[in-house]
Amino acid sequence: MKASFLTAVSAALLIISGQAIGAEKSARDIVEQAELNAYYSGDDGRSAARMIITDNQGRQQMRQFTILRKDQQDGGVQDMMIFFSRPADVRDTVFRVVKQVNDDDDRWLYLPDLDLVKRISAGDKRTSFVGSHFFYEDVSGRNTDLDNYELVSESEDSYVLKGTPKDPGNVEFSYYEVIIDKEHMLPIESTFYNESGEAYRKMEVLKVETVQGYPTVTHSRMSDLTNGGQTEMQFRFMKYNIGLPDSIFSERSLRNPPAEWLQLRD
Amino acid sequence: MIYRAFFLFTVLFTLAQAASAQDSWDDEQWDSDWGTEQDQSINVYGFVEAAIGGRFESSPYHKRLSIAEPRLQLGFDERWQDITWTAKADGWYDGFDETWHGQIRELNAQFTVFDNTDIKVGRQVLTWGTGDYLFLNDLFPKDWQSFFVGRDQEYLKAPSDALRVTSYFDWINIDLVWTPEFDHDNYIRGERISYFNPLSGQLTGDDPSIQFVEPTRDEFAVRLFRNYDGVEYAAYGYDGFTKSPEAVTENFQPTFGRLTVVGASVRMTFGPGLVNTEVANYNRHDAADHWRALVGYEQELWTRFTGGFQAYIEKGDTQTRTVLTTRLTWRDERDDLNLSLFAFVSPNQNDGYLRPTFDYRIDDHWSFSGGFNLFFRETPNTFFGQFTENNNAYLRMRYAF
Repeated sequence: MKASFLTAVSAALLIISGQAIGAEKSARDIVEQAELNAYYSGDDGRSAARMIITDNQGRQQMRQFTILRKDQQDGGVQDMMIFFSRPADVRDTVFRVVKQVNDDDDRWLYLPDLDLVKRISAGDKRTSFVGSHFFYEDVSGRNTDLDNYELVSESEDSYVLKGTPKDPGNVEFSYYEVIIDKEHMLPIESTFYNESGEAYRKMEVLKVETVQGYPTVTHSRMSDLTNGGQTEMQFRFMKYNIGLPDSIFSERSLRNPPAEWLQLRD
Repeated sequence: MIYRAFFLFTVLFTLAQAASAQDSWDDEQWDSDWGTEQDQSINVYGFVEAAIGGRFESSPYHKRLSIAEPRLQLGFDERWQDITWTAKADGWYDGFDETWHGQIRELNAQFTVFDNTDIKVGRQVLTWGTGDYLFLNDLFPKDWQSFFVGRDQEYLKAPSDALRVTSYFDWINIDLVWTPEFDHDNYIRGERISYFNPLSGQLTGDDPSIQFVEPTRDEFAVRLFRNYDGVEYAAYGYDGFTKSPEAVTENFQPTFGRLTVVGASVRMTFGPGLVNTEVANYNRHDAADHWRALVGYEQELWTRFTGGFQAYIEKGDTQTRTVLTTRLTWRDERDDLNLSLFAFVSPNQNDGYLRPTFDYRIDDHWSFSGGFNLFFRETPNTFFGQFTENNNAYLRMRYAF
């Protein structure tokens, strides 16, 4: 009883402070809220994804996969499995990640032709995700603790923030600017700048849909501003809070994908 | 011969393109065919590949050509009645022995019973253990001939006709594999790759007078495994025969000796990398027992460049063999070019094996691969040294659909 009263009070306080924030809202609060909305909606989720990769000569490739995700805690450890269906050379390949917060992720790759469960050592997260212009980190989320943020400007419908890496030696950018849309509290554009202050990489959100009450990016684009080329990514068949059991996230699902959770239907 | 191979490749390639014509993503690339319940159709996938390769020097035992084959692989998998059915088969013309070949690589059904048990029955590829190209507790059949002439890495594993039952429990998982009929490796026996025959005490090419005697019994393999907090523990058992003929019958014919193996492994993150260790006791019944042990470490050394290192020992009462391996892998920014160097070196046998390879993915259909198989030695009777006459280079071009 007492506990629920306290919960009610703190919830009320949160709502009040949520409305009072306005200009006082710190850059970090904004970024952390956007991170939760972008990567931690619901307790778990399923989504099909398709990427169309266009190189600087206009040649196209495609990737298609289904993602299952479960949060151990919001903003914290996350289990993820990615089941590839296209193209032919990665068909039935499965990628399993345990996303850690203050440690390297645990990662495994299942190669069906060899029946091999290959464990992958921690790697630079700012490298191409399956040959696309998106980085591994763009898909799994960059830890907000790695950067300092400042509020550059604020308009009626968005915040513009500047992120600067705490350890510049670990990343290829010197800073980035991210526009966070106030309506959904989602990053809708990020531009990365190099040491000479030139923009060389840009992520744009092309479509946001609200799924079960969660604003969800369903179409985005990553462009290479220096060499040309871009990757567009679309999500379909999103479902949140589907009740994925912990046991799904295991070696078992690498060898025997859990068909009932992968069935695509709206 | 070469012309014939290329003619065949052209024919296979045309067929493959026809088969994949519906796979065009230009129109409605976002809306077409997501594989939903409604639009599930039977999907055949596979590839057409042409491979060509030759020995560096004329071998006294074989022709220069080491590989020349157009190959077609067709696969299909479908879930029906809660059972996943998989079929995958290869057909190829082998320019080395000038014959057509076919192989069913997979033909199996996989299903779940009692919620916690997965059963896979039929022809399947099986792999476990933690070594990288070093096998201690993985006694499933391997195809060393394919490995040494430069076929795709997939062919290192030969299929087994087996029943696999995997049960998952809270505290441990159990994997049981029963192979009703013993499957040996596609070991080196002279017809394609020359080797050192300890009976005659010399290097040997194709010698039809050598008759290998195969056992007709079954094999069992078991694995107990658990992932606890990111650390993967496993214990293994095997009962069957050596996978290549390491014994002789009373008539001095090479045969496969009885073998029982018990082992264990651990794999975990360690500092910025991964460490794995594995041990196995080989009980040979009719010959001297020995131990095998392995320690490995892998780490991304710098962005997109990974180094893996292994130290391995086989120790018996009379014989010891040590092997060090390193795998260096680099991939380019777009993830389409992969360069790799795998090296085996045996400090106590003074021999080794280098495997430099490249894989270049041109697009979603086309890819190119190539590499070298380079053996070196001090004396011809050592594990890798016996293959030095077979040093070769190869190129493969593949169209996947």
